[in-house]
Amino acid sequence: MPTTPDTADGTAATVPVATAPAATAPAATAPAEPRSVADLHRAGQLLAQYPKVRALLAPLGGPELLTAGQLLSRLDPDEVRAAHPAVPQVTVAVTGHGTLSQLTAPLTAELARHGLLARIAVSDFDSYVFDLSDARSDLYGAEPDLVLCVLDPMAVFDEVPVPWRPEDVERVAAEKYAIVAGLVARFEAASRGTLVLNTLPLPHRFTAQLVDHRSRARLGALWREFNARLLRLADAHPGLVTIDLDPLLAEGIEAVDTRLSLYAKAHLAPGLLARYAREVGHLARHLTGRTRKTLAVDLDGTLWGGVLGDDGAEGIEVADGYRGAAFTAFQQVVKQLGSQGVLLAAVSKNDIEPVGEVFRDHPGMTLREDDLVRITANWRPKHDNLAELAEALNLGIDSFVFVDDSPYECGLVRHALPDVAVVQVGQEPARHIDALLADGWFDTRELTAEDRSRVAKYRDELVRKDFLDSFDSLDDYLRQLDVRVALAAVAEADVARVAQLTQRTNQFNLTTRRLTPADVRALAADRGGLALAIRSSDRFGDNGLVGAVLGHRAGKALHIDNFLLSCRVFSRGIEQACLAAVLRHARDTGATEVLGSYRPTPKNHKVKDFYPRGGFAQAPDARAEDGTAVFRHDLAGIAAPPDHIHLTASFGESTS
Amino acid sequence: MITTDDFVALLREDMGLPVTAEDTGLSLDQVPGWDSVHLLSLLTLLERRTGRSLPLADVLEAGSLKDIHALAVAE
Repeated sequence: MPTTPDTADGTAATVPVATAPAATAPAATAPAEPRSVADLHRAGQLLAQYPKVRALLAPLGGPELLTAGQLLSRLDPDEVRAAHPAVPQVTVAVTGHGTLSQLTAPLTAELARHGLLARIAVSDFDSYVFDLSDARSDLYGAEPDLVLCVLDPMAVFDEVPVPWRPEDVERVAAEKYAIVAGLVARFEAASRGTLVLNTLPLPHRFTAQLVDHRSRARLGALWREFNARLLRLADAHPGLVTIDLDPLLAEGIEAVDTRLSLYAKAHLAPGLLARYAREVGHLARHLTGRTRKTLAVDLDGTLWGGVLGDDGAEGIEVADGYRGAAFTAFQQVVKQLGSQGVLLAAVSKNDIEPVGEVFRDHPGMTLREDDLVRITANWRPKHDNLAELAEALNLGIDSFVFVDDSPYECGLVRHALPDVAVVQVGQEPARHIDALLADGWFDTRELTAEDRSRVAKYRDELVRKDFLDSFDSLDDYLRQLDVRVALAAVAEADVARVAQLTQRTNQFNLTTRRLTPADVRALAADRGGLALAIRSSDRFGDNGLVGAVLGHRAGKALHIDNFLLSCRVFSRGIEQACLAAVLRHARDTGATEVLGSYRPTPKNHKVKDFYPRGGFAQAPDARAEDGTAVFRHDLAGIAAPPDHIHLTASFGESTS
Repeated sequence: MITTDDFVALLREDMGLPVTAEDTGLSLDQVPGWDSVHLLSLLTLLERRTGRSLPLADVLEAGSLKDIHALAVAE
């Protein structure tokens, strides 16, 4: 089989230069002056140029990242915020059994890699029981977004007598489990944040102390049962995440440095804490609404081996042979991500016809047309194709992950679209999977039914766009679209999805207050609370649960605390219809005014006039420090809802 | 071999501590920016740099940065 080396200029080599305008563009990866965080530190510019840190850290791991973390952790978060108010921050409380000071540097660096400023407080040694059980502890006082309760094997073995038998370990582990389960319950009552537990490694220095294999196996089994119970705790507690350390250790990381454990009570080795910090970084990214939503993959050298344009459909490497099998394994992982709501797209420099044929007819392909929301194959620069796709899907470009094997294409996308997460895979297809999965780009706390059918919904959306193009006016289009909206009180089955909307939605999100499932459940159960789910459908299909209206009553006023709508469905009148319905409902149930607020973020400017357009007037003197504007509707004249929308409402609220 | 200059550079550029060669003779609680939590990070850095294991009990008992440097370069 002919193979064209996939070198930096591999893409250019596959086509005549004249038809590949991007290949003649000036080199796009001209480096910015500071090349590392250490450079910035040396120049005394770390604080002033903090926004550059994110891009500098993105490709780093290991010692370099740790050093950067040391330097960054010496910055005062207050000063960073004062100099760069737009940098989002995450408050992290670290508590646990052993000495955890070595978690600060990697945690600072891992959060900074995702553009997050870490405000970290490390509790005293072994104070987790006090910290988490006393609602008045400093830990709760700091109102942390994330609480890391780091458990280590000595949390159990410190209390095992000497000499010992597996039964002693079993007894202590059972006691610890009971304590931890109690702390989790306390935490949920006292905090709105997310608690992170971890499984406990079992060091060889304990198993090996048992000389008979039968006892050793018993210890192994009961230890894993203890860990399994910690993992299962998360099923019953939406505010809890348990990080399984076993897969991290399986990468070949030392679990315990006995010297540090004995002398400094640092019971987990620094390398493991750093690896754990990376997982926490992914979680923090998700909790701050930065989970990626779209995976755009290159084709030649990424999804299959060889060059389709040169080698033909029968010549590409997929399914057959060693490398073909490796590409198939990668396709299976991409498909697996797609099945969980990640939107998949192919973006390739190729002619569209042969690419379409491969996806339709090649017997070795795992990914098929139906798995992808769009296949883009042309000779335009990939960043233009990505930007266009983002627009067609109505998603921010910062929700994209782009995978390519060409350093040239990767460099160009990084340069033109710095908000895209670029995963550069190498020449060895067997490493593609690890490269894609290394940064947990799509990690989320919980999947909903919406996630599993997301690809189909977005494909419908692209069909809608084509349909729109066939109409003379938007009105004609909307009338033909036959939009049906159901506005209803949030039911238990809606809780996870509504919380997810608050986490994922950035554009049509009036106040960007992120809620946990527990918050949503509490609001729905509150007699004075208002929690409405918005569902919509149209001639192309069911959109599912696409939005929410959240609020509360205070006296004769109804406050709308947040109004959210998925970017898939806005600008077709759904938001106006729902707002009008809420206003009518408020009037009919005795309210004399409705107040709505808009809190600006870098993402939600397109809804800043949402309330004024709905007949609200800006309330005087109601601008808070964070720029929140408050609007008031006196319920005198409620605008008629758009007449192309068929809306049904059931508020589930007793008339007051 | 880590010279005094190397050691100060490591403290300044890898640990971010604003120290000078003179400060290394100070008792640890007098060192600008020093906190006991830095000790393990410094140990990890020195072990990575020298490629050998330092006597941790002695490092934990060291009175000054100079003492720690001496442990790192001791034959």
